[in-house]
Order: sequence, then structure tokens, then C-alpha cells
Amino acid sequence: MSEMTRRSFFGKTIAAIMGLIGLGLGIPLFGYAVLPTLRKREEPWSEVGPLNLVEINRPKEMDVVRSLSSGWMKTNTVRSIWAYKRPDGAVVAFSPICTHLGCGYRWSEGDQKFLCPCHNSVFDLDGRVLAGPAPRPLDALPTKVEGDRLFVLYQEFKAGLSKKEEI
Amino acid sequence: MNRVFSWLSDRLKLPPILHHLLDEAIPGGASWIYVFGSVTLFLFLMQAATGAFLALYYAPTPDHAYESVKFIQEEVPFGAFVRGMHHWGASAMMVAIGLHMLQVFLYGAYKPPREPMWIVGVFLLILTLTFGFTGYLLPWDQKAYWATQVGINLVGSVPWIGGILARILRGGAELGALTLSRFYSIHTLFLPWLIMFLIAGHLFILRRVGAAGPWDKARAKSVSEPFYPRQVFMDAVAMGGVFLALVALVTLFPAPLSDPADPTDTTFRPVPEWYYLFYYQLLKYSEGPWEPVVTFVLPVLFFTILFAIPFLGRKRERAPARRPIAIGAGALFLVFVFSLLGLAMKETASLKRTDPGVERGRAIYAKLACAGCHRIHGQGAQVGPDLSFVGDVRNRDWLIAHFKDPQAVVPGSFMPPVRLSAPELEDLTKYMLSLKKGPA
Repeated sequence: MSEMTRRSFFGKTIAAIMGLIGLGLGIPLFGYAVLPTLRKREEPWSEVGPLNLVEINRPKEMDVVRSLSSGWMKTNTVRSIWAYKRPDGAVVAFSPICTHLGCGYRWSEGDQKFLCPCHNSVFDLDGRVLAGPAPRPLDALPTKVEGDRLFVLYQEFKAGLSKKEEI
Repeated sequence: MNRVFSWLSDRLKLPPILHHLLDEAIPGGASWIYVFGSVTLFLFLMQAATGAFLALYYAPTPDHAYESVKFIQEEVPFGAFVRGMHHWGASAMMVAIGLHMLQVFLYGAYKPPREPMWIVGVFLLILTLTFGFTGYLLPWDQKAYWATQVGINLVGSVPWIGGILARILRGGAELGALTLSRFYSIHTLFLPWLIMFLIAGHLFILRRVGAAGPWDKARAKSVSEPFYPRQVFMDAVAMGGVFLALVALVTLFPAPLSDPADPTDTTFRPVPEWYYLFYYQLLKYSEGPWEPVVTFVLPVLFFTILFAIPFLGRKRERAPARRPIAIGAGALFLVFVFSLLGLAMKETASLKRTDPGVERGRAIYAKLACAGCHRIHGQGAQVGPDLSFVGDVRNRDWLIAHFKDPQAVVPGSFMPPVRLSAPELEDLTKYMLSLKKGPA
């Protein structure tokens, strides 16, 4: 072998080994850092409880346990919703926060209305604004029923805007 | 590629730098015996890379450290690979340093004018051992917690200042959150900077005084060869071999993660990482007045001698045959260390000898998802009885009968019967019986 081909053999072998180590380490490290960020967010449906606890045309405040996981961190937070059944059986759920400035409102059985104690906003059973400063109807939340259990997609929206905007 | 290189090289005036880097003369020519330094450097760089990536998902608090390591190990794509490479890379670095030092010692390469390089090298060894010690705690599992407990208490047994030293190391009176964040910061921030400066110093000295070459002066003078290409080639082949070996090791033996750290579980018997094992063994033999000798006098003596080695022999003689005292002492030291290591490994092996049926039973336990109802050392649901120490309260016959028909043995139980072949049932029972308090 001439001196030049020897040199180029060494050079090529060195480059090949460096390439092997580089790729052998680089590809896993890239996947490690990037792949978890591309994972689809889990549908955060939260279980509310047995469907038969929800009454027809009589909104009730119900607890929802929200399970959030961020990597290794799993947190459970308890939130509430207002829920009732329409006569046709469809479940209606509202975010518990008044659309005006974020106070907690209540269902008044006597008035058959939702009343917000902070600034006197009033909503009907469908969440429409009847009186007061609230800029938009109550925020309805998606619900689904599996077997006899009720689930809700808990979300919070910014208060004070005429349009629903998720926080 | 070549065009880009020559374009860049033209502007940055690279040729003289490349010449300086690659054409360093190696007296006596390239040799496979010189690869250990490069391999150590390679392993350090790999530890730096994998370590930085591990930190992406790691949380240095007692509440979350274990969970985050488990997340890396089990859920992140390539997580087991990255953690495994970091775990085994640490061991490989110890081996590479050991071989590197052995070569330098055998070749008398620490002798004048290379004493500064040896001294910096000993500091590098100390830093690497500190990396190992601080990194060991980070997974915050039982092994990590108890090994660190023992390690810090050893420091605490140093006369006069031991108590204060232990507190400084621990970040307080007790091993806890402050220890973990302290070790994490030392492991990932302080030590990397320090070691990079020292590595730079080590290499700087190498380039100023030149490689030592063979001990035979006539041969060193007669043959000389540039660093590139043959030595670089040998270094690269060694690095590639080490890399592949590590990949194989990680694939065959994933980095371990035991139960979460439990300060109240005093039945756990910690065994340190293998490179501390010989010392661990030595501690077993040191009683009463001998204890401070082993925990304090010997380590101080060891590192003092290590630092003093270049100044001990007066002659510049490098041939091993003409350095009988140095070579004899070195060999004696190796025999001593390896005998202790051998003894320690033998004792640990006999301690852990388990029936292979236990492992098969553990696999069956996992396959049948028994953890859906039962809990073992904090893992699993709490619907059925906790099985952590079931081996203490039940015997084989009871377990077999119960597996076959739970309701016949425990009326009212809602456990479904376990449908397994007789040998599988035997293995599952062996696993249950292995779950005991204290050494099995």
C-alpha cells in the first residue's frame, strides 16, 4: 500500500467510527429530547359521577376531579360544575364561574334562575343572560355519558369578554 | 464537504492549527497501549452529553426525584438507553482511568518532566470519584439513599472535623432535600466546570512536555511518528469498541432502580458501586481502634502517596525491570485491592443468591397484573392485602391452596383463582415466600 492510500484508509476508518458513535448517540438523544414533546395531549375528560345524581331541570353543583399529568408529575385538583338533565335526557353542564368577573354564582330554586351575588348578573336555565352586567351566556362544557357515568371536559374561560376564550 | 472545509480552512487559516494538533510527535511510534487516556476523555464527553440530556427530565427533590427517574427509565423514548449509557459509562470511565494510570505507572511516564501531569491526573481521579459518589444519590432509591448515608457517616468518623465535614456534605444534620439538591448541584454544575479546567490543564501539559513514549530511550529516539493517522486510528478504534460494548451492556443489563428511598426501612442492606467495593470490604475488617485507621488514615495515606509518587524515586530510570521497589509496591497494591474486591463480590453474591424460580415468579406476578390489587413496597394498588412481607406470615402449602381456590381458604375473599400450571404456581409461590423482612 502506498503512503497516500494508507493515510486515506486511516482517515476513512476514523471518520466511519466517529460517524457510528455520533449517530449511535445522536439519534437516541434527539429522540429522547424531542419525541415526548410531540405526544398527543390526552383527552382530559373528568368523571363527574353516576348519571342518576343529575336531576331534570334542577341544576346541582357537582365536584369534578381533574387529573393532570405533566411528565412524571400527576396532580388531582377538585373543581365544580353546575349540571342538570333536560327532559329529553341530554345533560347540560356549565363552568361554575360567572362570565362577568369570575365570581361563583348559584342556582336559585325559588327564582328558577342562576344568580351571581357579586354584581347581580342573572341567567336562565339555558345560561342566557337575563339581567346584569354579564357580557355573555354561561359557559357550557362538553359532556359525555359512558354506561351510567357522566364525564365532562372541564375548561375555564376568561371572564369579562363577550366571546368564550379558553384560559 | 471537502470544498466547504477548504473554504473555511482558507479563511480561518486552519492548516497550522491542524498541523499542531495532528502532527504531534510520538516517540517510539503509535501504540495500542496509549489509547486509555483518549478513551477516558471520550467517556467523559459521553457522560457530559448523556448527563445534560438526563437533566431535561430530572427533578432534584425527594418528592419527585424517584418518580422523574422512573419516568425517564420507563416512559421517555430512549430514556432507558440514555440513563443506561450514563450509568455504565461511569463504570467504564473508572476502568479506563485505572488502565490509564496503570500504563503511566508501568512506563514510568510520571517521572520528570511529567510530574505536573501526574498531579493534575490524581486530582482528575478524585473529581471522577466525587462524580460517582454524588451521582449515585440522585435516583433517590433505596440503594442511593443508604449508600450515601453510609458514605457520609464514613466522612463523619474522621477525627476532630468529621462531624462538621459530614454536615457540610449533607447540607445539615440529616440526609434529605438539602442533601439531594446539594449533590445535584455539585454533580451537574460545580464538578463539570472544575474537571473541564483540569482536563484542559492535563492536555496542555501533555502538549508542552510531549508524550513520554517507550521506556527504552534508544527506541524512543530511533522511531518517531506523528499523532495522525495511526495513533488517532487506534484511539478511534478503541473508542468505537468501548461504545459498542456499552451499548451491549445497556441492552443486556438496564441501569437498576430499586424501591423509592425509605429512611424508615432499616432492613435494607446497601452495597456500594463496584469501584468502592474493595474499600467497603476493608471496612468490614476494621473494628474498634482500627476503624479511624481505615476510614481516615488509609485514604489520606493513599492519596498522599499517589501525589508523591513522581518525587519518590530519585532516578529518572523508567524501565520497569530497574524499578523493582516501585513495580513491586504497585503489584502488591493491585493484589490487595483485587483480593478485597474478590472477597466482597463473593460475599455479596452469596448474600443475594436467589432461586431462579423467584425471578420467574416475579415475572408471572407482573404478567398477571397482581399489582392491580396488591401492593409490594409501595408499588401497586391497595385493594387486596399488602404483600411486602407475605413470606413472613404464609407458608408454601397455604399459598398454593389459596392460589387454586382463594374462597376455600379465605371465605368471602374476592380474589379470582390463579389459573397456572403446577410449576408456574410453584414459581409464583417462591416469589411470595421471598418477600420477607430482613435478610432473606
